[in-house]
Amino acid sequence: MTGNLFLVGAIIAAVAVPTVCYVQKIPSARLVKICAGLSATFVAAASLLLWTLIFADDFTVEYVAAYSSTQLPTIYKVSAFWAGQQGSFLLWLLVHAMAGVALTFRRTNAATVAVYFLLQAVLTALVLAKSPFAPNPAQVVEGVGLNPLLQDFWMAIHPPIIFVGYALLAVPFALSLGSLLTEAASRSWLDEARIWTLTAWSFLGAGIFVGGYWAYKVLGWGGYWGWDPVENSSLVPWLMAAVLLHLVNLARKKSAVLIQAHVAATFTYALVVYGTFLTRSGILGDFSVHSFASSTVGAAIALADAVILIGGLTVILWKAKQLPQGALYDTHGESAFAVLLGSLLIIFVAAIVWVGMSMPLLSQLVGEAAAVDTDFYVKSTAPIAAVIVALLIYTFAKFGRTISLGGKIAHVGFVAMLAAIVLSSTGETVTQELKPRAKLQIGGHEVIYEGQTFSDDGREKFYVYTVDGEVVRALTKLRGNGTDAAREPAIHKSFSGDVYIAPHAPEVDDVFELMLTRGLFAMDGELGYVFTDAQIDRDSSGNPIQATATITVTDGEIVEAIHPTITVTPDGGTSQAIEVFNGQRRVRLTGISGDLQKARLEILPTIEKLSNMPITATVTTKPYIWLLWLSVSTICAGTLLAIKR
Amino acid sequence: MRKALLIALLVGFVAYAGLNLAESVTPYVSIAEARSSSNSVQVKGLLDKTFAPQQTCDEFTFSLQDEDTGETLRVKFDGVKPDQFDEAYHIVAVGKFDSSDDSFHAKKLLIKCPSKYEGQNPN
Repeated sequence: MTGNLFLVGAIIAAVAVPTVCYVQKIPSARLVKICAGLSATFVAAASLLLWTLIFADDFTVEYVAAYSSTQLPTIYKVSAFWAGQQGSFLLWLLVHAMAGVALTFRRTNAATVAVYFLLQAVLTALVLAKSPFAPNPAQVVEGVGLNPLLQDFWMAIHPPIIFVGYALLAVPFALSLGSLLTEAASRSWLDEARIWTLTAWSFLGAGIFVGGYWAYKVLGWGGYWGWDPVENSSLVPWLMAAVLLHLVNLARKKSAVLIQAHVAATFTYALVVYGTFLTRSGILGDFSVHSFASSTVGAAIALADAVILIGGLTVILWKAKQLPQGALYDTHGESAFAVLLGSLLIIFVAAIVWVGMSMPLLSQLVGEAAAVDTDFYVKSTAPIAAVIVALLIYTFAKFGRTISLGGKIAHVGFVAMLAAIVLSSTGETVTQELKPRAKLQIGGHEVIYEGQTFSDDGREKFYVYTVDGEVVRALTKLRGNGTDAAREPAIHKSFSGDVYIAPHAPEVDDVFELMLTRGLFAMDGELGYVFTDAQIDRDSSGNPIQATATITVTDGEIVEAIHPTITVTPDGGTSQAIEVFNGQRRVRLTGISGDLQKARLEILPTIEKLSNMPITATVTTKPYIWLLWLSVSTICAGTLLAIKR
Repeated sequence: MRKALLIALLVGFVAYAGLNLAESVTPYVSIAEARSSSNSVQVKGLLDKTFAPQQTCDEFTFSLQDEDTGETLRVKFDGVKPDQFDEAYHIVAVGKFDSSDDSFHAKKLLIKCPSKYEGQNPN
């Protein structure tokens, strides 16, 4: 409730900025700064409140119950903030609002500030419409917790980085529109736009690269890049922002390019919002590896996006006559031509990815739904990428002197990245079943499977391998019930590249269930079980928290009593496997009837049996993959360096 | 000259991308439609529990069931059983139907898992 009030306050303060700009002939800079600061303060207060709720394990808030739990480590409580859609929008808004305050301190015109804060008001309204502060309709004592797949350092930092990129791209759009509305022929917005776009571009790029690195080191995501709609929806704005960067730079020297720079600014931001619409609306639910929650705000985002694109283009058309006219370039031999041609080629790549990711939507408009093969992206963009590299080499040879140091570094990084993508895909792949201590030869490496080990708390399992004498482990995070929750490969790194070992989920076929009736004897083949007692713990309002069964187990001589439990979670219950007779058996309680007369017990294979099981693994060599991580870091570093000239 | 070059580039690109696209589009169809189509398609369904999935060295076979009609389709996937297959609430198979062995040859499987991952109902 308080959170929503903060958001309402943020909307009012954000709307006050364009109002001040409109009402006052010469807007008071002080008043604008106060309103901007107030709006940002409200957003920051809402954000701090969400973190406080997460850290306080306040499960009366639906979002906290859905993405956090009392057991969650501190770092992931911080990142649970942006684990869901509502929180990630709030994070976006937080960055937008902070950048807004910075913008009011920079040299900009009033119209730009007005446009920017209108966007902020709309963004805040979207957060409010699907609020992270919504109360939980169910009463729970424990949250669902953060998806184990997301409990990873890289995945924790990926969203904030990418949202800095998204949020900052609103600035060049606002600068462009503000300039068009007040002083159409002016080029003074370009210097400011250059700095903001460079910053946004390097953050967006870093976010994509971090996401790719994470996707590489977990299984089930198809490697560092899978052309999944989530990935594509960030790639398209990144490509368009690259075009914007080049056109803004060129327009500072060539006034005739100004109109193209305006168009690029509008398209870039419209594509940022479009990507959000596509991935957050649930439209792609059946076409992505990701299961997206369908969302009611989809229509609102679509509308906002249409207004941004149509509004931006209308203003450009309306003011086109006042913009500088003339030839875009004089001869094909000048650098302006190379930059324009390069920009056009990047637009081609962006268009291909855009059409591919939008196919489910576009095809529904004309008939039956369809998607494209991921081959389409590689096949169509690779030749264009090759032309871009050739153009870059030519441009460097001819005009290298005129390119800034940061620009040089970023472009070298870009070419190295393409080279690394090609090079790392030339490795070998072998899929084979390996018994413990079995050997496998691949690409000059010797891989030995050593078996499985388990962490003490039973929440982690490792497949251990030795590659060229060095031990590497593939981590599998386990659920409370012992089944796989998130799986990672074992990666052996060396100068010549990575040996990437992806163990497949084992076929555990000797799990079976025993139905126990209170007081009656049941056998699992060797051991006998008697369900003797059961107890249900309830909270103050009578809702069950935990069920405990007392079961005696006997091998005919010794009798051992065990107390397996089920803990109630928002979506059912979770229970840990417990060991009986010094690890001879592992059992798990999976159900208790309401009248406490029946219990369901799962009998699991022993740790010893699991560790000696043969495991199928796909082993791949990734030659010189480190060049990929190095080159993408180089792109970001070069871009940041280019801000200072 | 400048306009002519731009138009030539644009026309060339649209033709190039269009041809590539036409080759790669896989429509979303029902199981009945998948059986009668000779093109690459996407078909969605639930796992048919009456058929135990089989894994051979490089082929994974299972049966897909239409959510609405209950019709089933034998799917042969060129690869190993995907992660999280057992928890899937529905499966999307991308590939072609081959009438010679009455099965759908999938090049790709998309596994849709429930977002609540810790779910297991007592009782």
